Amino acid sequence: MRKLNRQQDREESWRILMRAAQDGDRTAYTRLLSELLPVLRQIVRRRCRNPQDAEDIVQEVLLSVHAVRHTYDPTRAFMPWLMTITMRRITDAARKLSSRSANETTVDVLPETFSGHETKKEQDTSDDNEVIRRAISLLPPGQRQAIVLVKLRGLSFQEAATATGKSISSLKVAVHRAVKAMRRNLNRKI
Amino acid sequence: MQTEDLIRALAADATPVKRLVRPGRRTITWLTISVVYIAAVVLFMGLRPDLSTKLAEPRFLIEVGAAFLTSMMAAAAAFCAGCPGRPLWERLAPLPFLAIWLGSLGEGCWRDWVGSGPDGLTLQLDFLCFPTIVAVSIAPAVLIFSMLRQGAPIAPVATTALATLAAAALAAAGLRLFHPQDASVMVLVWQFGSVAALAGVGALFGRRLLRWPHPRIT
Repeated sequence: MRKLNRQQDREESWRILMRAAQDGDRTAYTRLLSELLPVLRQIVRRRCRNPQDAEDIVQEVLLSVHAVRHTYDPTRAFMPWLMTITMRRITDAARKLSSRSANETTVDVLPETFSGHETKKEQDTSDDNEVIRRAISLLPPGQRQAIVLVKLRGLSFQEAATATGKSISSLKVAVHRAVKAMRRNLNRKI
Repeated sequence: MQTEDLIRALAADATPVKRLVRPGRRTITWLTISVVYIAAVVLFMGLRPDLSTKLAEPRFLIEVGAAFLTSMMAAAAAFCAGCPGRPLWERLAPLPFLAIWLGSLGEGCWRDWVGSGPDGLTLQLDFLCFPTIVAVSIAPAVLIFSMLRQGAPIAPVATTALATLAAAALAAAGLRLFHPQDASVMVLVWQFGSVAALAGVGALFGRRLLRWPHPRIT
C-alpha cells in the first residue's frame, strides 16, 4: 500500500515537473531528468547487458524525451508517456545493433592479410618492394628525400629537419605530396 | 559525453515549448481543410448526373459514409499514434468503418451475383480510379504528413499506413460523387483496392518519413 502511494506521489511529482519543464523551467527539468536517470538505467540494463551500449541507449532516451517533450499532455499520466518512448528507443537500438552485427564478424586473429609479410610468398614481397622502389625513384628530388628519411629510415620530422636543413612544415608537405604521387602512380600500374 | 553532462546540456536547452494540440482537434483541422479541398475537386470535375437519385439509396449512403468515417477515424488514429502513452486500441479505430465499407461492397457483389449471375461480377479495366484516387489524395496526404511530423515517431509504420488510408479513403469517397461507376465489383477492386494498396505503400515509407528529431545541444 505504501509502495503504491509512493509510486502515485512520484508520478504526480514528475507530471508537475514535466509541465514546468514544458514552460521553460530549467531547474524543474534538471530535477526531472536527474530523477528519471536511475529509473531509465534500471529499465535499459534489464534489456541490454553491455553497460556501454546500455548507457548509450539511456542517452538516446533522454535526447528523445527532450526532442518530443512538447507531445506530453499534462492532463494524462507521465509514466506511460515515458515508457512508450523508452521501449521504442530500446527496440530501435536493438535493431541498429543487430544490423551492425550482421555486417561484422568477430574474430581473434584475422586469417589472412594482404599487407602482412608472413602471409605472402617471398616472390610477392620482393615484387612489392621493387614496385615501391620504382615509384620512389620517379618522385622529384625533394619529395624523394623526404619520404626516404621519414618513411623508410623512420626519422622523426624534427630529426629529418635537422638532417636536411628544411623546416618541419615543408617536410610534412613534401611527404604528403610524395604519398599522393606514389598512390597515383601505383594505382595506374594496378 | 557523460550522461550527467548530457542532462545539464539538455536542461540548458530547455526553452518553453508549445504543447502539441490534442488528436481530436488536429483531426477536425485536417478533415475540414481536406473536405473543402475534395469538395472543390468534385465541383471542378462535375457532379455525376444521377447524384440526386444515388443520394436517395441507403446502400450508396452507407458505402460513401463508411468511406468517409474510415478516413476520419484513420486520421484520428494516426494523430493518436504520434502521442506517446496513448492506448494501442486507438490505432484500430478505423477498422469497424473499414469493415462496414468492405461489407457494403461485398453485399453489392452478392446482389449482382444473385441478380445477373456471373455476368454481374464481370471485372473490366478502369484506368480512372487508381490515378484519380492518387491525384486527389496527394494534397490531404501532404497535409496530414506535415501535421504528423510534429508528433513523436513511436509507431512510424502504423502511423503512415493510417495517414495514407485517411487520405485515400477520403479521395475514394469524393470519387463516388463525380465518377459514375456503380458496379460493386469494380468499386471493390479499383477503388477499395486502390485505397488498400496505397495504405500498404504508405506503411513501407513509415521509417523514412517519420524519424526522431535530433536536438541540437551545446
